[in-house]
Amino acid sequence: MAQFFYHTLAGQIILMLLETLAVLVPLLIGVAYLTLMERKVMAAMQRRRGPNVNGPFGLLQAFADAIKMIMKETVIPAGANRALFLFAPFLTFSLAMLAWAVIPTGNGLAVADINVGILYLLAISSLGVYGILIAGWASNSKYAFLGGLRSAAQMVSYEVSIGLVIVSVLLAVGSLNLNDIVLAQRHVWFCLPMFPMFIVFFISALAETNRAPFDLPEGESELVAGFFVEYSSLAFGLFFLGEYANMILMSGMISILFLGGWLPPLGLAPFTWIPGPLWLIFKILFCLFVFIWIRATFPRFRYDQLMRLGWKVFLPLSLVWMIATAGFLMATGLLPQVGGVN
Amino acid sequence: MNAMSVNWILALPEITLALAGLVILVFGVLQRPGKGIGACTVLSIAAFVGCAVLVALSPDGAAYAGTFVNDSFARFMKILVLLGGLVALLLTVSYRTDERAPLPFETAVLILFSTVGAMIMASSANLMTLFVGLELSSLSIYILAALERDDVLSSEAGLKYFVLGSLASGLLLYGMSLVYGYAGTMEYSGLIAAIQQTTALPVGLMVGLVFLVVGLCFKLSVVPFHMWTPDVYQGAPTPVTAYMAGAPKFATFALLLRVMSGPFGAMAPRWQILIETLSILSMVYGALAAIPQTNIKRLMAYSSIGHMGYALMGLAAASTNGVRATLVYLAAYLVMNAGVFAVITAMRRKGREVTSLADLSGLGRTDPGLAAALAVFMFSMVGAPPLAGFFGKLMVFAAAWQSGLYVLVGIGALSSVIGAYYYLRVVKVMYFDASAERLDQPARSLVFVSGSMGLATVFFVLALGPLMALARQAALALGG
Amino acid sequence: MLAQLVFYVFAAVLLLSAAMVISVRNPVHAVLFLILAFFNAAGLFLIAGAEFLAMLLVIVYVGAVAVLFLFVVMMLDIDFTQLREGLQRHAPIGICVGGVLFAELIMALSHWTMAPAGVSVPLQAAPGLTNTAALGTLIYTHYVLLFQACGLVLLVAMIGAIVLTLRQTGSGRRQNIEKQHARTPEETLVLVRVPLGENVLEQGGFLRPQTSYYDTAVPGSYGSTGQPAVEKEETGA
Repeated sequence: MAQFFYHTLAGQIILMLLETLAVLVPLLIGVAYLTLMERKVMAAMQRRRGPNVNGPFGLLQAFADAIKMIMKETVIPAGANRALFLFAPFLTFSLAMLAWAVIPTGNGLAVADINVGILYLLAISSLGVYGILIAGWASNSKYAFLGGLRSAAQMVSYEVSIGLVIVSVLLAVGSLNLNDIVLAQRHVWFCLPMFPMFIVFFISALAETNRAPFDLPEGESELVAGFFVEYSSLAFGLFFLGEYANMILMSGMISILFLGGWLPPLGLAPFTWIPGPLWLIFKILFCLFVFIWIRATFPRFRYDQLMRLGWKVFLPLSLVWMIATAGFLMATGLLPQVGGVN
Repeated sequence: MNAMSVNWILALPEITLALAGLVILVFGVLQRPGKGIGACTVLSIAAFVGCAVLVALSPDGAAYAGTFVNDSFARFMKILVLLGGLVALLLTVSYRTDERAPLPFETAVLILFSTVGAMIMASSANLMTLFVGLELSSLSIYILAALERDDVLSSEAGLKYFVLGSLASGLLLYGMSLVYGYAGTMEYSGLIAAIQQTTALPVGLMVGLVFLVVGLCFKLSVVPFHMWTPDVYQGAPTPVTAYMAGAPKFATFALLLRVMSGPFGAMAPRWQILIETLSILSMVYGALAAIPQTNIKRLMAYSSIGHMGYALMGLAAASTNGVRATLVYLAAYLVMNAGVFAVITAMRRKGREVTSLADLSGLGRTDPGLAAALAVFMFSMVGAPPLAGFFGKLMVFAAAWQSGLYVLVGIGALSSVIGAYYYLRVVKVMYFDASAERLDQPARSLVFVSGSMGLATVFFVLALGPLMALARQAALALGG
Repeated sequence: MLAQLVFYVFAAVLLLSAAMVISVRNPVHAVLFLILAFFNAAGLFLIAGAEFLAMLLVIVYVGAVAVLFLFVVMMLDIDFTQLREGLQRHAPIGICVGGVLFAELIMALSHWTMAPAGVSVPLQAAPGLTNTAALGTLIYTHYVLLFQACGLVLLVAMIGAIVLTLRQTGSGRRQNIEKQHARTPEETLVLVRVPLGENVLEQGGFLRPQTSYYDTAVPGSYGSTGQPAVEKEETGA
C-alpha cells in the first residue's frame, strides 16, 4: 500500500488529489459557515437573532443561500466582455483556493512545503486584485469600473506595508519557509515582540480583503455594490466564496506569522493535548471574529484617508520597524544564520 | 571571495556624493514649497567640491568583485564629470529671475544623482556597472529636461529624450547580451581574455559590439543617432542643457574609451572604420546643419555634435596617443562649453530668458565684458590658436595622423573651416550688427563662471603640460 | 521527461502569449496576455530551480507593475482606427527595416560560437544554501554597489514622478487629522431645548459647530483660507 502511494506515479497523483481534497473540503465548509458566523455574530452585536429558521440555530442557512444562488438566472449585461466577465469570479475563487497549498496545519503538514512559501502567499494574494479589476472593467458599467479602480489602488498600496511587515518577520526567522516561520515562534509568538507590526498587518489584511472599514470597492452607499454590481447567480456566488476564502486565508497568514501557527500558547500539558491543526483553527476563528467585530463597529473610511493611512502611516512605520528589527537583531547577535532553521 | 572583492574605500567618492544627495533631498523637502532651490544648490556645490577632493585622493584598485575599478583614467574622467556638474549647478543658482515659479529644488538633487551615475560609468569594469551607471545618469536627465512642465518645448524635450533614450538603452542591452552570449562573462578582464584567445571572431560578437557602440553613441549624440539633440537642447532649461552638454558626454566617452581599448582592444582594426565613419559624419553634419540656425541653444546642439565627432577622432586612432588626445580635447571642450552656456544663461531681458541669435546683436557695445567672453569661446571652438580648442584639435589631428587616418584628418580640417563660419557669425552679430535692446545685468555667479572659463580658455596653454601628463597617465592606465 | 514536457508547455504558452501581446486589438487583452506571459516565465524559472526569482517575478511584475499597466490602459480611451491608419502607411518601411534586422540576426546566430573560456562557465549550485540565501549573499556582498545604484535609479524615478506631476493646487480637501480627532463633543455638540411649534429661524437660526471644517483644514487646501460663511448665524444661538 505505502509502496503504491509513494513510489508510483499514479499513486502519487492520487495522494496529491486526496491531500488537495483534504484541504479544500473543510475550507469550503468553513466558508459556508463563515457567512453564517458573520450574520450570527453581527446580529448578536446588534441585539438581533440573525438567521434562525433553517435548521437548528439556522445552521442550514448557508446551504439555503447556496441553493438560491445556483437557481438564479445568470445575467450578462449588454456590452460586457463575456469571456472576461465570466473569467473574473472564477479567477478570484481559484486563487483563494490555490493559496492554501502551502499553509502548514501542523509540523510539516502542508500540501506543498516549499522553501519560498511566504513569497508564494504574497504572490497569490497580490493576484487577487486581478479578479476585481477585470470584473470591474468587463462589466461595462461605471459603478463596477470605479469599484475596480478603487480596489486596485487600495490593494497595491497596502501590499507595500504587508510586504515590509513580512520582511521584519523574516529577519527574525531567517527563512521563507512557512514551517520554519512557525517553528521560530516556539518560545514566543511574534505578536508580542512585534506588536505594532501585528496591528499593521491586521489592518492591512482588512484592506487587502476589501473588508469593512475598507470596503470602498464595494461601497454599497455610493457604488451600489462596486465591482460586482452586475453579477448574479453562480458568478456572484464564486466572488462571494472567493472573498470569504480570502478572509480565512488572511486569518491563516496572521496566525502563522504572528500567532504561532499550530503551536499551543504554552508548551505545557493541558495545551499540548489539543492537536496542532485545532490550534490553528482556533486562531483563525479568533482572527475572523475580530474581522467581523470590526465590521460591526467601524464606519467606512473616506478614500483619501485610506490612502493616507497606507502610504503616510503604515509605510514609514513598517520601514522604520524593519530597520529597527534588523539593527536590534544585529546588535544582540540574535540574527539567524544564512540558510534558515533547517 | 577574497579581501579585495569588497573594497568600500574605492567607491568612497560615489557613496559620499549619493549620501549627500539623500541628505539634500530631505533638506529640500523640509523647506516650504517653491523655496529651497538656492540652498539645495549651494549644498550640492559643496558636496561636489568635497567629492572632487575625495576623487583626487582615492587609491587605485578594483573592488566589488571586479565590477568597479579606480585608476588614473577613472579619476581624470570623474574630475571632468564633477566639473561639468559643478558648472551646471552654478548656472542653476541664478537661473530664474522673472516672476515665474522657480525651478524645483529637485533640480540640484537630480543633477547630483546624475553625476553619481556618470562617476559610476567612469569606473565601470563590468558591463552591468556600465548599464546601471548609464541608466542612473540618463534617467535623471530625462526628468531634468522636462522640468519646465508648463512649457510645451520642455515637455517635448523630456518625452523625446526619454523615448529615444529608452530605445538606445534597449539596443545597448541587446548588444551586451550578444557579447555575454559569446564570452560568458560580463567582466572586462574576462572579455579581454576571451577575445584574445580566439583568432576568428564570430559575426555575433561583432553585431553585439556594433549595438553597444550604437547605444553609447546615442548618448553622445553622434550622427546618425543625433536626432533628439537639437530639440532637447532647446527645450530643456538652460542650466540643464549646460549639464547635458557636459558631464554625461564625458562619462559616456569614458565608457566608450574603456570598452573599446580594454575588452575590445584586440578587435581595433575591425571597429576603427566604424568609429571613423561616425566621426566623419558628426563633424560634417555638425558643421553644415548649424549654419541655418537662429537659436543659440540649437546652435550649441549642433556644435556639440560636431565636437563629439572631433573627440571620436582620437578614439578612431586606437592608440595611447589617441586616448590622450581625446582626454585633452574633452577638457578643452568642458572649459569652452561651460563658458558659452554661462553666457547663454546670462542672456535675459527684463528677467525673461532670450535665446535667439538676434538678441545678441550689438552686445559688443551694450555689454563688452560678456561679448568678449563669448567671442573668446567662439574663437576657441573654431580652433584658433592659442585658445583651448586649438590644442584639443591639434592633438586629435596629430593622433589620427600618426595612425595613418589621413582622410579623417583631411575631412576634420575641412569641417573645421565650415564650422568657423557659424561660430564667427555669432561674433559678427555681437560686434557689427545694429544694437538690440540692452540685456539685463548678469548675475554674479554667471559673471564668475563665464569670466573664469574665459581665462581658462585663454590661458589653457599654461596648464597644458600638467594636463597632458595626467591624460597620458590616464591613457596608459587604460592599457590602450 | 515530465520536466521537459512541462518546460515545452510553459515555453510554448509564453511565446504564444508574447505574440498575442503585440497582435491583439484590445489593449486590455494585450495586458492580460502580458500577465500570462509573465506567469509562464515564472513557471520556467521554477523548472530551472530558481523558485525565488519565480515568486519575485509574480509579486513584482504581475502583482504590482502589470496592475498599474492595466489600471492605466483601462482608463485610456484608445482609438484603434486612428492607430491602424498610421500602421498601414508606415508598414512597408517597417517591414523592410524589420526584414533587414531579421536577416542580420539569422546571419549572426547561424554562425554563433562561444569563446572557449565561456563554454565552461562555472554554474555550480552553492552547497547547502537555498537559492534565496545564495542570491542574498551575492547581492549584499559582491554586487552591493550595483544593488544600491539600482536603488538610486528607482529613487530618481520616484523623484521624477513627483516633480513632473505633483501640483500644489488648492483644490484638495485635506484635513489635519490630529486636530480633527482632538475635537471633543463639547466643542461640536450642544443640546438645545426647542419650544414646540416655534420656527427655528425665529429662534435665531441654525446652530453650527464652534470649530468647523475650516479649523481642521490643512493650510493651502481648498476652503482653508475662506472665512466660514456661517459665523454670523452662530451668534443667534
